[in-house]
Parts: sequence; C-alpha cells; structure tokens
Amino acid sequence: MSKRDRDREEPMIIASADELLRPATRRKFVRMLGVGGAIVMLPSVFTACDDDDDDITGNQSPPPPPTVTSVTFDLRTDVGIFRLVHALEIVERTFYTAVVTRSNFTTLFDADAQEVLRDIRNVETIHEAFLRNALGTLALPDFSAQLNQTTLATALASRESILTTARMLESNGVAGLNGAGKYIKDARNLLVAGKVASVEARHLAALRDLQPPAGVTANVAFASNETIDANGMDIKLEAGDVLARVKAANVIAEPLNSAITIGNAPDATTQGQPTDNFFPANP
Amino acid sequence: METNKPILDGIDPEIMDRLVSRREAIRKGAAASTMLTWGLSLGSVPVALAALSKDVFGQAPADILDALQFAFILENLENEFYKTVLTTTNPQSALFTTVRTAILANANLLAALQQIQTHEQQHVNFLKNTAIPLFGGTAPTITANDFDFTGGNGTGTGPFAAAGTNVDFLLLATQAFEDTGVRAYKGQAGRFLLATNTRNADVALEAALRIHSVEARHAAKIRRVRKARNTGDTALRFSGYVRGTGAAAAGTAGLTGVPAEVTAALNLIYGGASPEGNTSHIVFNDVANAQATIDAATMSGWTDGGTGETQAEAARMAFDEPLTKQEVIDIVKGFIKDDATRGLP
Repeated sequence: MSKRDRDREEPMIIASADELLRPATRRKFVRMLGVGGAIVMLPSVFTACDDDDDDITGNQSPPPPPTVTSVTFDLRTDVGIFRLVHALEIVERTFYTAVVTRSNFTTLFDADAQEVLRDIRNVETIHEAFLRNALGTLALPDFSAQLNQTTLATALASRESILTTARMLESNGVAGLNGAGKYIKDARNLLVAGKVASVEARHLAALRDLQPPAGVTANVAFASNETIDANGMDIKLEAGDVLARVKAANVIAEPLNSAITIGNAPDATTQGQPTDNFFPANP
Repeated sequence: METNKPILDGIDPEIMDRLVSRREAIRKGAAASTMLTWGLSLGSVPVALAALSKDVFGQAPADILDALQFAFILENLENEFYKTVLTTTNPQSALFTTVRTAILANANLLAALQQIQTHEQQHVNFLKNTAIPLFGGTAPTITANDFDFTGGNGTGTGPFAAAGTNVDFLLLATQAFEDTGVRAYKGQAGRFLLATNTRNADVALEAALRIHSVEARHAAKIRRVRKARNTGDTALRFSGYVRGTGAAAAGTAGLTGVPAEVTAALNLIYGGASPEGNTSHIVFNDVANAQATIDAATMSGWTDGGTGETQAEAARMAFDEPLTKQEVIDIVKGFIKDDATRGLP
C-alpha cells in the first residue's frame, strides 16, 4: 500500500464488538493495524460484554454464529421431522424475544397481553433449546441472525402487526405438528411432539382471544368456526405447506430463504401418506 | 440431564403393559428387523423397547379401537356436562339452574361455553359415526343419564355439587374436564402407532391429535376466563398454560370452601406418574439410534429475555404431560355411573 493511499484512508470506526467478528471488518481491521491506519473504538465496544445486552435477535453479545447457506430436511426420520419443528422454533423464539424486549412493549400491550407474550416467548425459548439439545450434532444451525430484518421490523411495528404475525406463526406451528404427528415412528418422539403441540394450541387460542382475525367474533375466536372443521378438529398442514408459508412470509432473509428445502418427503410405506389440509384463509 | 432416572420410567405405561418377554416376542413372530435382533442380542434395552413398541402394536387395531371407545366415553362426559349446564332438558339440569342463570346473563361466557359444547358434540358424532366403525367397532349408547356431574357416581350430591350454584366453581370443573381431556388424548396417542403403517391408523392418529389440540384451545380459553375473574391468582396465566403441578396447578385461589375430595381430584388431574410439573422428556434419535432424557429445567440454551422467569417454571409450562388410561379412569369414574357391559367405569 502506497503512502498516498494510507494518507487518504479514513479512520476505521468500530462501534460494537459484533463488527469485529464480521470477516470483512476483521480483514480491514487487521490491515489497518498493519499499515498504521487509525482505528477508533467507540465506547460501546467495551459495554458489549454486558450479560444483559441482547441485540434484536435475542442473542447475547458473544459472536454471531457462522452464516448458514442452506438447510435441507429429510422427513423420512423422526430426527428430520424434529429438525423442521426446530426451524420454526428458532424463528418463533427470535420473534417473541424481539417483541418482549422492545422499549415500548409495556406501552403497546396491557397486563394480559404482556403475560401472554412473555409466557409464549419463554416457552418457545424452552422448546428451541430442548430441540437443540435433543438433536445434538444434527440440530439446525442457529440462523436467527439471518432473519429478514425488514420483515421483522414491519412485524414489530404495531400491536396489531405483532399479534397478527404471532397468530400466523402459531397457526403454522399447530397445523404443522398436527400434520406431522402421523409420520413419527417412535412412541417416545410422538409423546414429546404431543406435549409440545397442546402447549402451542393453548397459546394460539390466547393470541386469537387477544386479537381475533378480522371478521371473527371475539368471544369464540379462541376456536372459531373457520378454524375448527365439522368434526370438531383443529387445523393441519403437511410439512411442505408449512414450509412454503413460512418462506412466503419472508421472515428469513435471502439467500437462505430460498435455500431451505425438503430433500425427502415422508416415506409412504413406513410413515404414511399425506392427508387433506385444513387451514383458514386468515389465520 | 437426568442420569439416575430409570429409562423405563419414561416409556408410556400403556406400552409397558403390553410388552412381553424377549423370548416370547420372538416366538410371537415379531419382525426380525435388524434393530430388534441387534438390540436384543446386545441386551440394549432401550433399542429393543423402541422396536418392540412398534411390533407389539402390530396386531393393534384392537388397541386403536379401545382408545377410540375410551375417547368416546370422555367426549360424551364433556358434551353432556355442557348440555346440562347450558340447557334445561338434561336429567341434572335442575341442579345447575343457578349457575345457568348467571351464565345466560354473561354473553361472552355463554358464547364461549356454547362453542366448546358444539365441538364436543362434533367429537361425539365423529367417534360414533366415523372413527369407531372404521376399526370395526360399534359405539355403545351413552346418554346424559349415565353421568353425575356432581362427581357423586349417581348420588347427585358429589363433591363437585357447587358447580351448579357457583360460576367460579363451575369454571374450575370445566377447566378440569378440558385439561383432563388434553392429557388423556396425549396419553393414548402412542396406541395409534402401528408396525405396519396403515392408512386407517394414520387417519385415526391425526384425528386424535387434531381433537387433542382443540381441547387444548378450550382449556386455554377457560384458564383465561378464570384469570380475568381473579387476576391475583398466580397459578393461572393469561397465556392459558398449565403452571406448576398437582392441585396448585389448577388455580383455586379465587374459591373458598373447596371440598377435600375436589382437591384430591385436582391432584390427580394435574399429577400422575408423569405430573404436569415434569420437566424431563425422552427423545429417541432414530438416526443416531440412541435415546436420551433431557431435563428442560436444567438444559443449556435458556435465557430469560429480561422477563425474569425462571428456567424451571418455563420448562414446566412448556410441556403438557400425559395421563394413562387408568389415571384418567380414576379421575372421571365419580362422574360416570358404573356399567361394565358398556365399559363405563
């Protein structure tokens, strides 16, 4: 590097520890050190080590996980089914953590809604951690840093958008678990899935109670007619449809969003065959 | 992570009841799959158990039919309960006149309970007309006359009698029925697994799961209603979750003079071999061929997100637990007049 280039180079300003962990920033940092360039470390870099410092993804200040380039689900095994559930839980945990840590959370929501959203947030955090522990080396990488920030910001913009997004996520979750259960092969895993499924249904009911979908009567919104079929049965979706909806919602940023696929559907002989979906137009 | 808990504890007791000795299992012609023979030869009990779980149910349309018949009894219990409360034409409707008057004056509560009853009737119809015949059975005739909603096994003066005169007590009973229903379906789900997957078993399992989640919606709604009526009851959550374990998980702070038998019933409803407060769950990794028990109260990865919640409390709320068939029978038998010929406990 020539003296003339070095003189022209602006001081490098580092505002947060996270910046140092991005490869491009790191390369420049090291280069600047090497050529004697000026580096300004803002005070916020050193406060980033505070335990309570959560960024929008809900992660604590330790380094962001490596970028996930693609995710494939093999639904021919219970593990594969659980991985898909895990993906949804990562999204949900991230979303709800962003909700309850908003500075205007207690202004947007009354005590009832605050309790609902905090409880959901905590339960989804448990679910996500449980699945991560259960899947071990087969767990999904944590792609929460790769959620679409624009979609997230829009979803977090108002009470209405938050509750509508929550209803959408939970409806996908309940419908997905109801549709996936028949493919699970092991009784132990079926039991765990069942333990989670009823909890998801509880908080879907609570969310719908807080904010019914448009046109739904409030006092029956917890289980209204367009969401319970003529046999008194709840919503259900096949896995492919759940994934398609999540991808269509653009909650995950590109290019990862397009790179999340189902590599293998459940096996018809050993697991079962798809059934008709049942899902409302406005979940 | 649990290290001392016996692995067998975590297996659904329904499965345990049906397991035979290894020798007998092979003699019965259990599928000599690689996993099973490997597991048995190495004495690897968890693997053998898992494989046997599927094989034991190989002749199990009878198991599914039994589960459906059991569900049919419970759905009738719920359906007739709501009809008794909301209408004047059931045999015990007169016992619930006071509480019915109060409900009729509360449009929101009335609408919610009517919606729930609609679903229970749909469940009864589906089981009777579709599911049970699909497995070659005939649903017994069950009427409101078969039930005693005071919990008195037919006397009409049982420990739940206050449900007829006090709305808060009525709502406690409602919650108890719905939460029991959730736990009952959950405990039966494993019986729908077959070694050779058939379309009927799939359909039955999916139906059970989809009914089970509706019951969970009901339960959550009732908990929300009860919480709104008594916001100081910390056992109740606006989220509709079951918080805690045993009778404490019922949330009775807003009630006075709760009979001891009711508390005992609540201890059964929210207790059991796998009580609502349980946080340890077994998973089977069918890729790694290994079982693990994970305690959600102590596992890694928890953060409280500034909510101040403890991991243990969140872990208890995050999973609903099953009840075995016998545990459910012990809960509901006081509401059902005995008739062995129709399987009424």
